[in-house]
Amino acid sequence: MSADTLTRSNNRRGIRAPLLLLIPSIAILVLGMGYPVIWQIVTSFQQYGLKQQFGQAAPFVGLDNYIALATDPQLWVVVGKSLAFCLITAFVTLGIGTLLALLMSTVTKTARLVLQVALLLAWSMPVVSAMTVWIWLFDRRRGAINYLLDMVPGIEMNRFDWLSTPLTFLLVASIIVVWMSVPFVSFSVYAGLTQVSDEILEAAQLDGATGSQRFWGIILPMIRPVISIVLLLQLIWDLRVFTQIKLLQDAGSKSGDYDLLGTYIYKLGTSAQDFGMASAVSILVLGITIAMSWFYIRSLLKEDAA
Amino acid sequence: MNRRLAKGLLSALAIVIALFWAFPVYWMVSSSFIPTAILQSFIPTFFPVNGTVSNYAGAIADGSFFSALGMSVAITLTVVLFCIIFAFLAAVAISRFRFRGRRSFVIAVLIVQMLPAEGLFIAQYKMVSSVHLLDSVIGVSVIYIAAVVPFTIWMLRGFVAGVPVDLEEAAMVDGLSRFGAFMRITFPLLAPGLVASGVYAFLQAWNEFTVALVLLPSEAAQTLPLWLRGFVQASATRETDWGQVMAASTLVAVPVIIFFLIVQGRLTSGLVSGAVKG
Amino acid sequence: MKRKIGLLAAATAAVVVLAGCSTPAPADESADGQNITLWLMGGDTPDTLRDFLKTEYADATGGTLTIEQQDWSDALSKLTTALPDTENTPDVTEIGNTWSPTFTTVGAFSDISDMYDEVGGDKLLPSFVEVGAVDGANYALPYYFGSRYIFMRKDVWAAAGLEVPTTLAQFNEGAAKLKTDTQSGFYIGGEDWRNGISWVFANGGELAKKDGDTWTSTLSDPRTVEGLTQLQTLYTESSLAPVTEADSTPWVNLNNNAATGAPEAATIIAPGWAHWSIGDLTPDPKDDTKTVATWNDAIFGNFVLPGVDGGAAPVFAGGSNIAVSAASKNQAGSRELMKIIFSEEYQNLLGANGLGPANLDYVSSLGDDQFATALSESAANSKLTPAAPGWAAVEGSGLLEEFFGKVNGGGDIPALAKEYDAKIDELING
Repeated sequence: MSADTLTRSNNRRGIRAPLLLLIPSIAILVLGMGYPVIWQIVTSFQQYGLKQQFGQAAPFVGLDNYIALATDPQLWVVVGKSLAFCLITAFVTLGIGTLLALLMSTVTKTARLVLQVALLLAWSMPVVSAMTVWIWLFDRRRGAINYLLDMVPGIEMNRFDWLSTPLTFLLVASIIVVWMSVPFVSFSVYAGLTQVSDEILEAAQLDGATGSQRFWGIILPMIRPVISIVLLLQLIWDLRVFTQIKLLQDAGSKSGDYDLLGTYIYKLGTSAQDFGMASAVSILVLGITIAMSWFYIRSLLKEDAA
Repeated sequence: MNRRLAKGLLSALAIVIALFWAFPVYWMVSSSFIPTAILQSFIPTFFPVNGTVSNYAGAIADGSFFSALGMSVAITLTVVLFCIIFAFLAAVAISRFRFRGRRSFVIAVLIVQMLPAEGLFIAQYKMVSSVHLLDSVIGVSVIYIAAVVPFTIWMLRGFVAGVPVDLEEAAMVDGLSRFGAFMRITFPLLAPGLVASGVYAFLQAWNEFTVALVLLPSEAAQTLPLWLRGFVQASATRETDWGQVMAASTLVAVPVIIFFLIVQGRLTSGLVSGAVKG
Repeated sequence: MKRKIGLLAAATAAVVVLAGCSTPAPADESADGQNITLWLMGGDTPDTLRDFLKTEYADATGGTLTIEQQDWSDALSKLTTALPDTENTPDVTEIGNTWSPTFTTVGAFSDISDMYDEVGGDKLLPSFVEVGAVDGANYALPYYFGSRYIFMRKDVWAAAGLEVPTTLAQFNEGAAKLKTDTQSGFYIGGEDWRNGISWVFANGGELAKKDGDTWTSTLSDPRTVEGLTQLQTLYTESSLAPVTEADSTPWVNLNNNAATGAPEAATIIAPGWAHWSIGDLTPDPKDDTKTVATWNDAIFGNFVLPGVDGGAAPVFAGGSNIAVSAASKNQAGSRELMKIIFSEEYQNLLGANGLGPANLDYVSSLGDDQFATALSESAANSKLTPAAPGWAAVEGSGLLEEFFGKVNGGGDIPALAKEYDAKIDELING
């Protein structure tokens, strides 16, 4: 239907109207992102350290920064960790979010409202507030989580320091990110579910389709557009997760073992003052993100061409 | 299995999950009313018996909370307003017209979101500082709008496409101008979508912390997240005063929670159409 | 128009930077009515001192002094962005003493050699003057010095029949003996390199050495490795602190815990001013939901970390430097503020507040209580980190936390030392 709409509109109006409408957005993007992005691209080909920041000329070094990062084993460890973190967190978020959405569409009105309010509360928590609470919940000595786990017979969690090994550190980070992102996913998927026609589902049920058959065969295909955009956004956001990791590092370790790409770039730039390398790594991350979302961009292009 | 029983069990499950999900928020609010001396014990206090508001008094004692609140409100309103207008116009352009460069624009919008922001700080600082807009609402807002507009365009695109052109045309036949038809017919249908994207912009602007750290260097220009972090850090040089820290966190969260509860109904219906068409 | 001003400002900044910092403030510039900004790091400078500076500055110039406090954890990135920027630079800034070489070598600060003698000259703490100087010219001067020494629970040590140790070996043994399941004999965080390097220094080790113009990391040096080995043993055998903890707030462990009524550490190492937070806890008269600590000589004690052969071990010198930003448009006012900071009155105020005055003539203002004595004793033998141009980057990158964390986590020291020597070498020369 939308293709039809588009063509009709197009016949009537030329190119001027849409461009006029786009001007404010394009202008603000150029204004807010243009210079920084160009600076970043240029700097990634320069040797740019503190000296350059204080006014010395920045020598052009060609691909040196990129060669240095390609041959830096530590960077690839961080890339691997970030990808694993991003994939696991995004899929867990999507899984839980979808399950909660399905739950919302089956339970009583009161239960649905209670669940929705709870999710809204979590969604509306500002990141810094949320991190402060979670850090305290996971506190080694006075945290409620260790206290509650400790009450389970056979589990010895007193003083267990969640932030002291990279694995548990990232687990905590992942739990927090999932907690914060599930509401958006559930509401979007639930919104999608409300559009699935009840008649089709009932017909399928009469034909003897089981619950899981109905889900995989009818519901999922119908909410696929929602699922794919939500998944894409989660992947993008989880790959560049920064604030959560930075604040957890404030509470735990600043060591590089606890870095994901966001904090890695930040440290490389503002702390180690190697802006050339930091820019090069940023460009690499952009590349990875584009590669990850290629499935979506391609389907978008196809849909557009059709 | 009995369907009614199943529904009952699932409803109970939903409520249990809801309690779990809301627990950190409850914990924050509850702890903010508990005297620090009690919080310092190794046994967590789950209910604020003998509650006190002294934590709140302590958190806002030096007045910097109110200046940070003012700054946050100013920035957030600016960002929400401009984002909605800009994104709405762009969404109309890309969903109502087919033109050369449309596809590139859509893809550019997507890719802009993927840029890791951590490498951009120095350039953003240089840029904003060169036009004397550090520590100002405008400087930081421009960066925020640029960061938020792509996604709001994305959200609104589906809504605009979902409004049938036929309706507008019918109205025009009835003698309304194209603009009039749009305002009378299309705009009201878009309201939920505008709410949903406004909420998104609101959250981003209210919560953002790293760009603010760089572009609002002076204490007088702090936003609430910076204020809260400073508060936590100052507290950490002594033994962390969790009562006050939780009170401060609650203060930062309350405006957002109120805003969410107000727009709640529209938000869900907004996501409905947005998500489906998205 | 705006844009033009921006360009002009940028050009001015470039000229100031390029012209280098060998030009003193132009003679015709007057400090009268200049409004300037001072950045102080963390909350170490008490309010009375801040008020003193503001009043004195207003009296001297008629201008306003604005003091902005920066948090240590964001300071490096803020200095990096603001110092080159004429429009937003602080006019005068406190700076971590270990970062001074990095910023002075890139020309961030004004040359103030001409006023060096006037503000104290040879009387200023030499090691701090040195890290702030390049080729004999002075850019950053000492602001105050602090030092680290040991705080102990006399009651716990006495109950175990232990005397105050006089050598490092005795200290290490005593600390190990005092460890129980719920109490650290000596509480030190695994990533706490600022305190941990005392063991390296005490064994004659160094973090880096300079050969010609090139700095090399020397973690693999046998003496450094010896110090690290002692630290590793000490950490595993006497500390219950998390391996990821840096030098945050060790003193809370020395006080009796509200829940258990017992301390969690028998001994800690901390900057001298920690004594304000150590003692018997009683409800705060101003706010009964809080507690205040009152030092109790019967229970708490302090001593200087002993060296390998007795005496005081060289510990890491705390404190900071202060400098005028080269990009500042208010050079005259800034210099006026420097004069106030180095005045006898302000130096004595520093001392009275437990901060080691930059001018050693006024050290007596610290008083002669046990804390002042420990401060002077440990400071006399204290050491700074390498004055290498890239040292701020080394600190900022978190490599030291990482290395000490791995050492204390039980890693193979020579192998780790070799690995981190290579990593630090990449950054240390700027």
